[in-house]
Amino acid sequence: MLSVSQASLAFGGIKALDDVSFTAAPGEITAIIGPNGAGKTSLFNIISGFYRPQQGQILFDKQNITRMRADKRAELGIARTFQNIALFRGMSVLENIKLGGHTRLSTGFWASGFFYGGARREEARLRAEIERDVIDFLELDHIRKAPVAALPYGLQKRVELGRALAMQPQVLLLDEPVAGMNREETEDMARFILDIQARWGTTILLVEHDMGMVMDISNQVVVLNFGRQIAKGTPDQVQANPAVIEAYLGTSDRSKTDAGEVTA
Amino acid sequence: MGQFIQYIINGVISGSILALIALGIVAVFKATKVVNFAHGHLILFGAYFYFTFSVVLADAPFMPAWVSSWEPAWLIAYAGDAPMFSPRAAIASWVSDLPRILLGLVGALAANAVLALIIERLIMRPLLGQSAFAMILSTVGLIWVLEGSAGLIWTAEAEQVPALGPNFPIRFQLFDQNLFLFSGSLVNLLVALLLFASLMLVLRYTRSGVAIRATAEDQSTAYAMGINVPRVFSTAWLVASTTGAVAGAILASRNGLSPAIGLFGLSVLAVVLMGGLDSFAGVLIASMLVGILSSMAQWKLGGGVAEIVPYVAVLVVILIRPHGFMGQEEIERI
Amino acid sequence: MITGHFKTDYSADEGIWSNWPKRWGLVAALVGLAIFPFVASNYALLLAGQIGIFIVAVVGLNVLIGYTGLMSLGHGAFFAVGAYTTVAIHHEWPLTFPLITLVISTVVAAAFGVLFGLPSLRVKGLYLAVATLSANFIILFLIEQEWLAEWTGGISGTETPNAVFFGVELVSQQAKYFFIMPVMVLMLLFAQNLFRTRFGRALIAIRDKDYSAEILGIALFSYKLKSFAISAAYCGAAGSLWAYFFPAILPEDFGLNMSITLVVCLVAGGMGRTLGPIFGTILILLVPELLKIVAASITGGDATAQTWVSPTRDILFGLMIIGFLIFEPMGLVNIWDRFWRFMSRWPFAK
Repeated sequence: MLSVSQASLAFGGIKALDDVSFTAAPGEITAIIGPNGAGKTSLFNIISGFYRPQQGQILFDKQNITRMRADKRAELGIARTFQNIALFRGMSVLENIKLGGHTRLSTGFWASGFFYGGARREEARLRAEIERDVIDFLELDHIRKAPVAALPYGLQKRVELGRALAMQPQVLLLDEPVAGMNREETEDMARFILDIQARWGTTILLVEHDMGMVMDISNQVVVLNFGRQIAKGTPDQVQANPAVIEAYLGTSDRSKTDAGEVTA
Repeated sequence: MGQFIQYIINGVISGSILALIALGIVAVFKATKVVNFAHGHLILFGAYFYFTFSVVLADAPFMPAWVSSWEPAWLIAYAGDAPMFSPRAAIASWVSDLPRILLGLVGALAANAVLALIIERLIMRPLLGQSAFAMILSTVGLIWVLEGSAGLIWTAEAEQVPALGPNFPIRFQLFDQNLFLFSGSLVNLLVALLLFASLMLVLRYTRSGVAIRATAEDQSTAYAMGINVPRVFSTAWLVASTTGAVAGAILASRNGLSPAIGLFGLSVLAVVLMGGLDSFAGVLIASMLVGILSSMAQWKLGGGVAEIVPYVAVLVVILIRPHGFMGQEEIERI
Repeated sequence: MITGHFKTDYSADEGIWSNWPKRWGLVAALVGLAIFPFVASNYALLLAGQIGIFIVAVVGLNVLIGYTGLMSLGHGAFFAVGAYTTVAIHHEWPLTFPLITLVISTVVAAAFGVLFGLPSLRVKGLYLAVATLSANFIILFLIEQEWLAEWTGGISGTETPNAVFFGVELVSQQAKYFFIMPVMVLMLLFAQNLFRTRFGRALIAIRDKDYSAEILGIALFSYKLKSFAISAAYCGAAGSLWAYFFPAILPEDFGLNMSITLVVCLVAGGMGRTLGPIFGTILILLVPELLKIVAASITGGDATAQTWVSPTRDILFGLMIIGFLIFEPMGLVNIWDRFWRFMSRWPFAK
């Protein structure tokens, strides 16, 4: 569905991504993990179109989208959420989610301005669809008219997921969907992600630090460290991979010195 | 060719004055992240204060006679019967004006400093932490407050004020071309560049300079490090208003005193943007460039075109280099 | 007391006249607008016409500043483009139907808007403010050029035509009122509709978080330029009406002062709100009138003593911008909202 091949991205001398390749199979959940600064968000940024990789390709449905503008990629069906919530803070939950429908509507400037007619019908249709597929589905009905800025963190994350869902995406990129959440919220979010996969067969890419969740729900795990891809495989394979263990825990010597420092 | 060099020289001279004005805008921006749209009108006030102290007050009946015209015996002897426009006559007349010039400068600096402190305290401080938009607009509002106040206090007619330095024509040769400039312009150039350079040095090498730069980088961290951020703000406004007063005095002595000084100051905003808001070096380059371009435009296309040169230039530069020649781009983390 | 909003389907929930005070308020406003010219003095009509024209322009500016979040200090220039296009059209073809002139002026202004909006593709915020500042000086410079003077009248200004509808020339204030107000109401309605559907929502999204908008498939460059075009078009329409409204225009009528006045109206009223431009414009345009009355009562109509009126007005305007920014940054609309919130809970809360 979505494949990244040999992608490299550098900012000046710093290599954010170095020769990263993987394929996200249709309808599966692919998790991207790695320590802080490993290049996970940079990877998302080249997939969604904020950065252009200096080398390598990004293929969506066999189409090369490496140089495509971000908004065009959205039209193809790539949706994402952000690590630091990027909701439209001046708007209500409903308005935020409606914006997710932007690519699927056709009302242009004139139709918008005259309103009565096509625009009105389209708005009503969108509203009904959103109520059914997003608001009911994500259990947001009690806050649909609330301004997003006033919502607690966990709910804001869920609204952002809702906004992405309203795009009816083929590929959904989730950047740390459960960061900073308590256990209950994390479980809710994991359930929503699995439900999305089951209900629409969406291909999901996930950046996450919560290893419990990653190992529970992903079909494939890609591990990055300092921009390099150090492992790829099923959760079990990755957990057993020595390079991964080293990246996360350090070598046995290092872990001793670290422990020494802590006790001292 | 001779004329070309002549206009380059004129351009550099007006460029240095642009740089002096730009200095105030950059200083305030660096410390407070506010772009002061009213800086031109602060300069206008500086010009009017200079006029008030050096002309109105110096000629007032209660002032001792030597203030309005200082003529010690040695000066009269020195002037002798030097012909008009000769260096000697010009210097003599400048020395005899010196008391009023100094009174004017000291008065204008002090009055403008007080004005800036009032503005900073009453208008900018309450807006701290507001959006950039609110900050810009409040300084736009300030334009009107200052312009209106100037209209109420001073009758808006073109008045003459004494120049900062002795003014006589200097003729010289460069590349076998006959060129000339006024010594007064040369003094203005030196004053402007000296002020510019000394401020750059202060910012780079002194403790308070570092404090200003730290505040510019990150206000809350600067606070946490024990820097008196409000004082940094007032310092920046003081720098802007005092350099602005000097610029005002120069402009008034060059082109006469009129409300148009305010609008001229506004056009310097375009110059600052071209250079890059937070870069003194970039702003200096942009000032010289605009000064020379305007001077060329004046020569080839007439005065009307010269006035819009900064505005056209800034549009071109922004489209090519959005943050100016040497400005720092703000990187948004996603 | 206005309690809950009871709706049974989604399209009712999407409506803009969603409750009875809104509905009847609108009807009352329209009726008032229609009756006004029959009861008001000529002077009041002059003011009303001016306010109506300014509202059109400020609504346009609201599209750009209030809804798209792009700063402009140059919209007086687009106002000028509209006014001078109207004059030029009538200079070439004196009998052009006014609505056609209005449309052409609007389109020309929109084109200039796009041109000066180009920097918005590269910069935001104050960089954009200064870039748009350029529009004032460059466009006025062009208008004052010798080689355009045949159409623009150059630096000394030009007389303007009256609108002629099917052989009826609109000369009286009353007649002009009936030209301006319908245009104003329709343009207000258009803007209002814009911002409850896909197009306008996209603009608001750009204002709130541009990269987030991009990720949802909103093409930033196209929408930003469209926003510039729309706002300049509204100002152009206002300019065209202005040319029909006043007997003569001067280049310096427009310039920086008008650009700032437009922004002041918007800030005073409340950015990004439908009613903001209306409230703000009425307030800002009535202040000088009040000042004149005060001045006349103090000086007893002595003309020479009134030289202080104009600078005082400037000071007052400046203080009003600053005052609003410090004390009521959301503008008059916010006061209005507070009032209605209070009313809807009365007598149970304060």
